[in-house]
Amino acid sequence: MISTYKGLNRLLMAGTVLGVALLYAFPLLAKTTENPTFYLQIVSVACFSAILTISLNICMGYGGLLSLMHTGIQMMGGYALGILMVKKGWNGWLALVMSSVVGSIFAILVILLSLRATYLYFGMITLAINLIAMETVRQGGELTGGYNGLFGIMAPGIPDGIMSANTLYVTVITILIIMYIVQRNLILSGFGRNTMALRESSETATALGISPNMHRLKVFAVSGAIAGLAGGLLSMQMGYAIAEIGDMGNGLIFFVGLFLGGVGTLAGPILGVALVAVIDFSIRGTAQYRTLILGAILLGTMIILPRGIVGTYRASRYGSPRSREVMPGEADDYHLDIAVKNVTKGEVLLEATDVVKHFGGVHAVDGISVQFKAGEVHGIIGPNGSGKSTLISALTRYHELTSGSVKLLGAEADKKPYKVARNGITRVFQIPHLFERVSVLDNVLTGMYRRDNYNVFDAIFRTPRYRKANSRSVAEAKALLSLAGMLGMEELAAGSISHGQKRLLEVIRAVATEPKILILDEPATGLTQDEMHSLTSLIRTLAAGGMCVVLIEHNVAFLMDLADIVTVIQSGKVIAEGTPQAVQKDERVLEAYLGNTDFSKELA
Amino acid sequence: MSLQIWIDGIFAGSVFAIIALSMTIVYQPTRIMNFAQGEGFVLGAALGYQFIGVWHWPLYKAVIGLIIAAIIMGFIMERMIMLPVQLSGSKFAWIIATLAAALIFQSLFNIKWVNVTFSYFDFIDKNISIGDAKLSIQKLIVIIFMFIVYAANEFFLKKTLWGRSIRAIAHNGDTSTILGIPTKPVIKMGFIVGTVVIAAVGFLAAPVIIVAPAAGLFYTIQGFTAGIIGGVGSAKGAVVGGLTIGILDSVVRSWLGGTWGLFSTFFVLALILILKPNGFFGKRVEGR
Repeated sequence: MISTYKGLNRLLMAGTVLGVALLYAFPLLAKTTENPTFYLQIVSVACFSAILTISLNICMGYGGLLSLMHTGIQMMGGYALGILMVKKGWNGWLALVMSSVVGSIFAILVILLSLRATYLYFGMITLAINLIAMETVRQGGELTGGYNGLFGIMAPGIPDGIMSANTLYVTVITILIIMYIVQRNLILSGFGRNTMALRESSETATALGISPNMHRLKVFAVSGAIAGLAGGLLSMQMGYAIAEIGDMGNGLIFFVGLFLGGVGTLAGPILGVALVAVIDFSIRGTAQYRTLILGAILLGTMIILPRGIVGTYRASRYGSPRSREVMPGEADDYHLDIAVKNVTKGEVLLEATDVVKHFGGVHAVDGISVQFKAGEVHGIIGPNGSGKSTLISALTRYHELTSGSVKLLGAEADKKPYKVARNGITRVFQIPHLFERVSVLDNVLTGMYRRDNYNVFDAIFRTPRYRKANSRSVAEAKALLSLAGMLGMEELAAGSISHGQKRLLEVIRAVATEPKILILDEPATGLTQDEMHSLTSLIRTLAAGGMCVVLIEHNVAFLMDLADIVTVIQSGKVIAEGTPQAVQKDERVLEAYLGNTDFSKELA
Repeated sequence: MSLQIWIDGIFAGSVFAIIALSMTIVYQPTRIMNFAQGEGFVLGAALGYQFIGVWHWPLYKAVIGLIIAAIIMGFIMERMIMLPVQLSGSKFAWIIATLAAALIFQSLFNIKWVNVTFSYFDFIDKNISIGDAKLSIQKLIVIIFMFIVYAANEFFLKKTLWGRSIRAIAHNGDTSTILGIPTKPVIKMGFIVGTVVIAAVGFLAAPVIIVAPAAGLFYTIQGFTAGIIGGVGSAKGAVVGGLTIGILDSVVRSWLGGTWGLFSTFFVLALILILKPNGFFGKRVEGR
């Protein structure tokens, strides 16, 4: 028996096929009306809007980068096509490709300029650049046709000549479908997972070894390429390029479509734009009220349907996946070798010497030397505010050191936190940092992205290389999940599982990065007894495989039971180090840290 | 370089500074940079044109009418923006909502005033001569008004209970509510005061500069630019940033021609964002 969820999904699939067939058959339908070209044009323009909205969805919905210059990129794409075709006499198809390239380059330049800007400024900068771009083409003289715009663009035929309205229509529909598939393939690949990881938390993504700036640049480049293409197509259809295409008022329609359909959903942009096109068509007699009505719809959508149509459906009882039943013996299908490669037991992985970190007058870490060795569970304890977390942040380069050195595998550790992560240190933060809106499986897969040896183009075209890497990663991810007893929960949104499962999932995700050193900051907080047992056995397995697990804990019993070696920190200094037994007997620890005698008895 | 260019620059800079100040007034309790703020500027200019230029109302009547209209606009704007922001939960809600509000107001202005630019006459048609340069009383009023708004805002924030509440809300809205601060009225008041201030400068400056019904977004961006150069959320930054771009625009304009003024402003903006991302007086912005 199939579940309602699957049944509904099949129904939706059938609806999509029907919709696509209708779109292709539309010219036949339009022929029966008095003005077929008019109707064809309305649908094509909606298609351009949908392509642009897909581009906006990639950078804003999935990437969390709010761009207010997508209309500007569209305009640039149109002008690139126009100038190359009309002024330089290029072939139209080649010019169309160039409009996409120009859009991408323009986007890359803008993001290079604004990488240091927080997202608040980013929106503003893009809006300002949009204005500059419009002003520039207005002042472009003969090349851009100034205020009047650039005229005389013809849709190129196949292979040459001028294309008929019907062929152009079919071409546009086909390109829209291709762009939808590009979006889907990208988002479902490692590229998309990293993009969403950055959207959810740039800090966590960095801890998994993702370079925030580089990846944002890629996201924006892809988004710009699609927007440029939309602009090229639009100018091809209209026959001209003009600065007003870049106007924010025209851009409103894309935001309405995106929010109505659902930000950060695959089908949202197309559904939303289709609805907006219908609304637009029904108010065509009152053009001066168009912005007013669209603006009101946008605000109304945000109030009544904050997730949009697709988003609301996905979050509902019918549209969200359940945990599935695990077949008996299924867990045996997944084998996992968690032995750390190229490491011998007892080898010094990380060596910190006289690490000092001062925040102004606060001496948070005041000259700590520590060694992390392979195959060891290394406990770090100390009172609140003793500098444990600061030490970890300093070692993983989230904080710049005031002085001292950190050596990783004998070499000086890189200054950039994501590079430290790539070199084998992964940390799990004190508060859960899961990518909540992403599925459990995708959370683990995000941790694996360093092993995915495919690029953006492999992902878009789903090349054999991509397929192979992807199926291998999925199998490994399932193996890891089964290790934590979480098999069957792959499709659930990470935000919907219990607190203890979240903590375990986070550890699993960190393990997926294949670290040599795994740092866990208070992992046992808030766990049930059972979950505590799962965590304990997981940590033991990892250490047995040669990994160094660094544990920062307040739960002394839990820590003393697991740790091979314990470092005690107070006021930014090491006051004791040794085996749990030795540390528990250490006079200084008993007096300075534990203080009262009742507590020391409990320990002993 | 002639003195006249500097005087014009300081005047334009004062206009931008007041726009930036009014944005700061909204930003302080809400942490929202309001894209619809410039529409208040257009409202001031439009009503000045309608009341004085078309209906020939006496000045006092026009001023009262303007203040009432600005209060209403601020009230509506607060609902249009804060309701989606509170209900939507999206990180971008405030940008999209303020942008939508801006476009809605803009289209209303476009429907009411077709093909009009809001220039009427100077209230006080007199000039002061400084050497061979001239400063009209009208422009002087705007410059003085800028300093008054700045001083009043500083006094209000630092010396009054209400001002301390605003700073507390900016820090943490929920905690402030628990402590008994009337968070929602304070936010409403921020929008209303901000709109009245920007409408006032629109009213005062429109006789001297050209304001079209659709110009709101342009003035918003100028205010933003000023705010970012000076540092978002800082009143001192708003004044310094506003004067910087006003003078720069005026100097470059006289030197290279109209469009280059605009380009130079954004060039400085880009430079600031690269070298000093939080502006001259700003703190690191986390935003909503």
